[in-house]
Amino acid sequence: MQNAGAPRESFLERHRKVLLGLLAVLLFFAAWQAAFLVVPFNPLFISKPNLIAKAFVDLIADGDMLRDLGVSAMPFLYGFVSAAVVGIVVGIVMGWRVRVGYALDPLMTVFYATPLVALAPLVIVFFGVGVSGKAIIIFSLSVFPFIFNAQAGVRAVDRLLINVVRSLGGSEWDLYVKVIVPGVLPYIVAGARIAVGRALIGILVGEFFAASEGIGYAIARFGDLFALDKMFACILAIMVIAIVLTEGIRWAERAAFPWRVGR
Amino acid sequence: MSESRTIKAALASSDELAAPGKSLWHRIEPAALGIGSIVALLVVWELVPRLITLSAGTKLFFTTPSQVAGTLWRLFATGEIWTPLGVSASGFGLGLLLSIVVGLPLGVLIGRSRTLNDMIDPFITAFNATPRLVFLPLVMLWLGLGLWSKVLIVFIGALFPILINTYEGVRNADKVLINVVRSFGAKEWDIARLVVVPNAMPYIIAGLRLAIGRAVLGVVVAEFFGSESGLGVMMVQAAGRYQVDVVFSGLIIFAVLSLALTAMVQILEQRLSRWRPVHVSE
Amino acid sequence: MVACIEGRNVSLTFRPPNRGPVRALQGFDIDVQDGEFLSIVGPSGCGKSTFLNVVLGLIKADSGDVLMRGKPIAGPGTDRAMVFQEFGLLPWRTVLNNIELGLELKGVPAGQRRDVSQRFVQMVGLSGFEGHYPHELSGGMKQRVGLARALATDPDVLLMDEPFAALDAQTRDVMQVELLRIWHEAKKTVLFVTHQIEEAIYLSDRVMVMTKRPGHAKKIFAIDLPRPRDYEMRVTPEFNELKLQIWHALKDEITV
Ligand SMILES: Nc1ncnc2c1ncn2[C@@H]1O[C@H](COP(=O)(O)OP(=O)(O)OP(=O)(O)O)[C@@H](O)[C@H]1O
Ligand SMILES: [Mg+2]
Repeated sequence: MQNAGAPRESFLERHRKVLLGLLAVLLFFAAWQAAFLVVPFNPLFISKPNLIAKAFVDLIADGDMLRDLGVSAMPFLYGFVSAAVVGIVVGIVMGWRVRVGYALDPLMTVFYATPLVALAPLVIVFFGVGVSGKAIIIFSLSVFPFIFNAQAGVRAVDRLLINVVRSLGGSEWDLYVKVIVPGVLPYIVAGARIAVGRALIGILVGEFFAASEGIGYAIARFGDLFALDKMFACILAIMVIAIVLTEGIRWAERAAFPWRVGR
Repeated sequence: MSESRTIKAALASSDELAAPGKSLWHRIEPAALGIGSIVALLVVWELVPRLITLSAGTKLFFTTPSQVAGTLWRLFATGEIWTPLGVSASGFGLGLLLSIVVGLPLGVLIGRSRTLNDMIDPFITAFNATPRLVFLPLVMLWLGLGLWSKVLIVFIGALFPILINTYEGVRNADKVLINVVRSFGAKEWDIARLVVVPNAMPYIIAGLRLAIGRAVLGVVVAEFFGSESGLGVMMVQAAGRYQVDVVFSGLIIFAVLSLALTAMVQILEQRLSRWRPVHVSE
Repeated sequence: MVACIEGRNVSLTFRPPNRGPVRALQGFDIDVQDGEFLSIVGPSGCGKSTFLNVVLGLIKADSGDVLMRGKPIAGPGTDRAMVFQEFGLLPWRTVLNNIELGLELKGVPAGQRRDVSQRFVQMVGLSGFEGHYPHELSGGMKQRVGLARALATDPDVLLMDEPFAALDAQTRDVMQVELLRIWHEAKKTVLFVTHQIEEAIYLSDRVMVMTKRPGHAKKIFAIDLPRPRDYEMRVTPEFNELKLQIWHALKDEITV
C-alpha cells in the first residue's frame, strides 16, 4: 500500500494520541493551579496541585498512607479472592448444568439488580467495623461479575469445537485444556476487571461508614478536619490504584488473549 | 450477552429433540425452576426461626419475609414512606436527568472529534476506573447534606456509562452513511441528527441501563453518609435501632425502583429498534 | 459546447494519519457530455471511487480542475447524486423515508416530499414496500431504493459506483435493463463505475479504461451499438470484439 519514498511521518504524528492526552492533563493541572491566582478560593474547601503534591509526599514519607492502604488491603483481598472462588465455581456450574442455570438465573438477576450496598449498615452493625464486615461487603459486591461472566464463558464454548476435538481423538483432558479453559478464561478475567471496581466501592462504603483506620477512613477524616490537601492526596492514591488495577487487567487481557482484541 | 442467549436457545431445542414426549414440561421448565428456587428460598427463610431456636443476639438481626411484607404494607398504608421516598426519588431523578443532558451531547462531540477524543480520553479512563464514591466526602464538604450533594453524586455515577456508550456508538457510525447524507448537502448538525445519533441509540440505551444501576447506588450511598432525609437515611437509622424488617423494606423498594426503570428502558428500546433485524449485544 | 462534467489534469493524494501517503489520481482527464452514459473500468484501487467522490463534492482534488458545466465543483449539490455500492440506506428509515432523504435536506415541505417519493417508488417498481425497513428487502430492492433516492432530487448527473456489484448475476441483469429504461425516461448524464467489462459495454455510450494507481485515463472506447439494447446483443460478434479490445487495454494494468 505504502508508496516507496514516502517521508517518515513525524514524531508528533506517530505519538499524537499520547501527546495530546499528556498535554490535556498538564493543562488541567496548570489551569487548576492558575485559578488560585485569579480567584481567592477558600482553602478550607479546595486545595491546589502543589499543596496536594506536597501532602502526598509527606503522607508517604511518614508512612501514614501506606499504613492506611495496608489496613484496607486485607479485607479487600479476603473479599475479592473469596468472591472470585465462589463466583467462578457457581458460574461454571450454572453454565454447565442447564437446569441449575434455569433455577438460579432469575435469583441472581434479582440479587444483582438489588443495591446490596444498602445492607451495609446492617452488616456493619452485625459484624463490626473490623476486617470481616468490610470483607463481606466487598464479597457481596464483587461476586456477581464473576458469576455472570463465568457462566457466559461456559455457555459460549463452541459445541462444534468440542466435537472437533473429540473426533480428532482428544481425551476429556484435552477438551478441558484446549477448548474449555481457553474459552472461559477471557470471560473470567473480564469479570475480574469489573469486580475490581466494585470491590473498591465496597472498601470505601465499609470504611466511610464506621472505621478507625484505612484509606477510606482517612479520606473521610481529612474531610472532617478540612485538611483538603491530604484529602485530595488520598483520593489521588485511590484513583491511581484503581487505574493501575483496571488498566493492568485490561493490558493482561490483551497480552494473554490476543484473539479477543476488538471485542 | 446475545451470544449466550442463542446458545441457550440452541441447547433448549436440542433437549427438546431428545425427548419429544416431554415438550410441555420442557417449555415451562426454565420458568418453573426459576420461580421455584425463589419461592424455595423464601419458604426456607420463613421457616428458619420456627424450626431452630436462634440465640438472642442473632434474633435481634433476624427477620422473615412475612415480617418484611407486613412492614412494607404498613409503610405504604400509613403513608410514612412517601416523604423519604420522594426525597430519594428527586435526588435520583435530577441526577440521572442531568447526566443524560450532559453525557449525550458531550459523547457525540467527543465521538466526532478525534482531537477532543484524544485529549479527554485520559480523564475518562481515570474517572471510569475510580469508584466515584471516593468523591463523596468532598461533595458533602462542598454542597452540604441537602438535595444537591445527592444530585451531584448520582450525576457523576451515571454520567460515565452514558458518556462512554454514546461516544462508542458515535465512533461506530457507518462512514458510508455519513458520506451519503453529506452528498445530499448535510451539515455537521444534520449528520448528527440523521446518522450518528440513530446509529448510537442502541449503545445509548445500554448505557442508560447501566446508568440506572449506578444512579440507584449513588442515591443509596449518598444518603448513608451525608443526608438528612431519604430512604437511605431511613434504612441507616433503622439498622441502628435493629429494625431489620425496615432495612429490608427499603432494600426491596430500591430494587423494585431499579427493576421497574430498567424494564421501562427495555420497552423504550423495543419501540425504538423496530428497524433492527437483531439486537445489538452490550 | 461546454461538457457536462470535465476533469483537467486532476491529481489527488491521500495522507492518512499514521500511514504513508497514497497517490490515488494523477493527471486524470475526462469529458462527459450532457445526456451521455459513460462507464469507467480500471484495476482495483486505481482511484475510480475517488474521482466520483471528487465530482460529488465530498473530497477536493489537490490540483487540476473539476468542472460541472464549466463551473468548478465546490461541494455537494443537488445537481449531482450518487448511487452507492453498499446501498448506503439508513437502516432506521423505511423505504419511503429513505427516498425522501435528499428532498428533506433540500428543505422540501413534507407533503410535496411524499408525492415525489411515491412517484419514484413506482418508477423503480417497489409499490407495496413503502413501509418496509432496509433489512426486510433483498439486495436488488435495496439498490432500487438507492437509485430512487438519487433520482428523487432530480439531479442532472447520476454517479454510480459499482451499484450492482453486491447483486447476484440474475438480479444484476434485470437491474441493468431497468437502469437503461430509467436513464432513457429521465434523460440523465450517467458516470458509471464497474469492474464488469460486459456491463460497461452493454450500458454505455463510451467506456474509459484507467491505468493502475496513480490513476488516469488510458484509453476511451466509443460503443456504437444501436439502442435500445437487448440481452441478445451480448452474444453478437461486435460486442465480443469490443469486449476483447477493452480486456486487452485493461489486463496490462492489473497486477496481482
Ligand atoms: N480515505 C482514504 N484514505 C486513504 N487512502 C484512501 C482513502 N480512500 C481511498 N484511498 C486509497 O486511494 C486509492 C484509490 O482508492 P479508490 O477507492 O478510489 O479505488 P477504486 O478504483 O475505487 O478501487 P475499487 O475498484 O477497489 O473500488 C486506494 O489505494 C485506496 O487505498
Ligand atoms: Mg471503488
